[in-house]
Amino acid sequence: MKPVQLFCWHFMAYPYLDKDFDEKQYSGWVTVPNSLWDNRKARGLYQEYIDQLAYADELGFDGMVLNEHHQNIYGLMPSPNLIASALTQRTIRGKIIVLGNLLPLHLNPMRVAEEYAMLDQMSNGRLIAGFAPGGGPETFNYDVPSANTREKFWEAADLIVRSWTEDGPFAHEGRYFPLRYVNLWPKPLQKPFPPVWIPGSRSPSTMAEVAKRGYCYFLSSRSHGGETHRAQQEFAAVLEKHGDQYHPFRFGILMSTYVAETDQQARQECEEGVWYFLKNCLKGHLRREGRQLTYGPGVPYIPAAAWREYLKGYTPGRKLLGDVENWEELDASQSIIVGSPETVHRRIQNLIEKAKVGNLLIQFQLGNMPDHLARKSMKLFAEKVAPALRDDSLKQFTDEFPGAKVEQAAEAVY
Amino acid sequence: MSGRTLEINGRKVWLLESGKGAPLLYLHGFADVHSVKESWIPFHEKLAQHAQVIAPAHPGCAQTDENKDIDIIEDVVFHYLEVLDALKLTQFDLVGSCVGGWIAAEIAARHPEKIRKLVLIGATGLFVEGALIGDVFMMAQPEYGSSYASLREMLFSGADQPDALEMFPDGKGDLEDEVRRYQMLRFGSRIGFKPPYFYNRSLKNRLHRISCPALVVWGEKDSMVPRVHGETYARLLPNAQPLKIIVHAGHSVHAEKPDVTAQMVLNFLAE
Repeated sequence: MKPVQLFCWHFMAYPYLDKDFDEKQYSGWVTVPNSLWDNRKARGLYQEYIDQLAYADELGFDGMVLNEHHQNIYGLMPSPNLIASALTQRTIRGKIIVLGNLLPLHLNPMRVAEEYAMLDQMSNGRLIAGFAPGGGPETFNYDVPSANTREKFWEAADLIVRSWTEDGPFAHEGRYFPLRYVNLWPKPLQKPFPPVWIPGSRSPSTMAEVAKRGYCYFLSSRSHGGETHRAQQEFAAVLEKHGDQYHPFRFGILMSTYVAETDQQARQECEEGVWYFLKNCLKGHLRREGRQLTYGPGVPYIPAAAWREYLKGYTPGRKLLGDVENWEELDASQSIIVGSPETVHRRIQNLIEKAKVGNLLIQFQLGNMPDHLARKSMKLFAEKVAPALRDDSLKQFTDEFPGAKVEQAAEAVY
Repeated sequence: MSGRTLEINGRKVWLLESGKGAPLLYLHGFADVHSVKESWIPFHEKLAQHAQVIAPAHPGCAQTDENKDIDIIEDVVFHYLEVLDALKLTQFDLVGSCVGGWIAAEIAARHPEKIRKLVLIGATGLFVEGALIGDVFMMAQPEYGSSYASLREMLFSGADQPDALEMFPDGKGDLEDEVRRYQMLRFGSRIGFKPPYFYNRSLKNRLHRISCPALVVWGEKDSMVPRVHGETYARLLPNAQPLKIIVHAGHSVHAEKPDVTAQMVLNFLAE
């Protein structure tokens, strides 16, 4: 057994928007005018963000997390593999988690197979390979037709893993990506292949596909009320149905935190960045204000019967994370956990206990949060929160999952 | 009005039919029978007073089976050739609106001998440089969590047009109506989402094969398919009348101005 794995997730937001952005701009996604990009301010931004991730490695985080977004202010990584590549040379210890490459946006999945194999070699076997189908905004980013997206996604994912594990050349006779010569050079370092993580938002079909293949399920929700615990139970049930068993490292969640010396100081220091993140970065994604691109009939990627079920439980105009109106509401969403080391420890420990989750993917830098505050929060977390979380979780997991076969950290097998 | 299911090659196709007279095959668009309504809208009732109107639901719409193998317009054309075989239709009038108009033009270009007369209403299908077809999918993503005003604006003469409000209401509509609209968007996304966006570049060069009399009808204020598309159809179809514009109407003229539009179609078919 191993303790909870604590990863540092960076979204790389565009932090230089004017104060009246929300008032003046309709969306932060897809159609947000790129005339707002300011080179005088943005020069050096990637360096700052990469340095923060390298700092996470120094502080002893279990890894660094990156993901793919296009045409938005929320995340400036259209190609997370480029940042991952930089990290292979700037970090030595932590896993590099790309969560993930958006497979339906790639004309040929072999490009992803190749780049992931390169990253695994370049990082000495530290890659965790995420595959994601993309959601509403991505549909519009690259004009990805919705109806067969899921099938297309799984064909690509399976082809990539096959190309990592089966000797080539072989022909792939697929519906979407027929290829005559699949013959991967280089191969990934980790055997049988790098760990694969797949994000989902509690859809039973995604859980089943993940369980079938023995991958790690990552809950992409940003709020952690009862839903997180339910997702864990649902996934555990699905695993059981597939003759497999749940353990905490089959499951991961995304959360945000800010740690400072006291509760009061924490809130004071992070509030500007938090509101920038909620009101600007989430506009078009997790806000009802403007046009919400993430869910809706315009991206019809689930079958009509599943849409009917979704509508039954759906309230039009309901509040999303970015619609919270005050700090108390935000606090209740358990999305961004803010406070002293004691407070943050208690709340995260509570979450781990209930959701039995082994992979915590934690966002530290939020919105336009300045570098020195992001680093201070990361350091306090690493020194004052992480050790207790590791101790507590190790006890809990050992007690609750005595027979679990948990792969040990980062060792490449040749 | 009666509905029935055809079996073609193992797939179910749902259709509605009404009226007596010469057979008229109607292919639907977004604001239409099958895509918002379970039954006829007044436009079809009016047509059915003078023709045998047959309206199949597109694959995945209403009770027609979804077909995952539809990737391009060609696949839809073959689907409909099978429908025509099953209906034993060899000579008929063909009327299509919006995406249905595109499918109609594609069928007519391949089998001009089957079509007695062709009517295109706000039809997509053509590539016209500088005149993009509107993005119905983005407009179908709600604003403020519950408003479909911009979708109505695109499909009708205005967001507050009464038929628009009835067909695409804000907030929570009737569950089955919402599913119907979703099914149509899902069908549309198979052939119309990825560029080419609801068009086939080759169609323009094939229109000269359609020798039958043709009528092209457009709403005065079509916010989805720019009027120049209608002008292009009317110019390139060898036996078409000049483009007919229906005033005070948007893209879905058949829904907004059922009487005027149906009368115009009937007059043309009776000529």
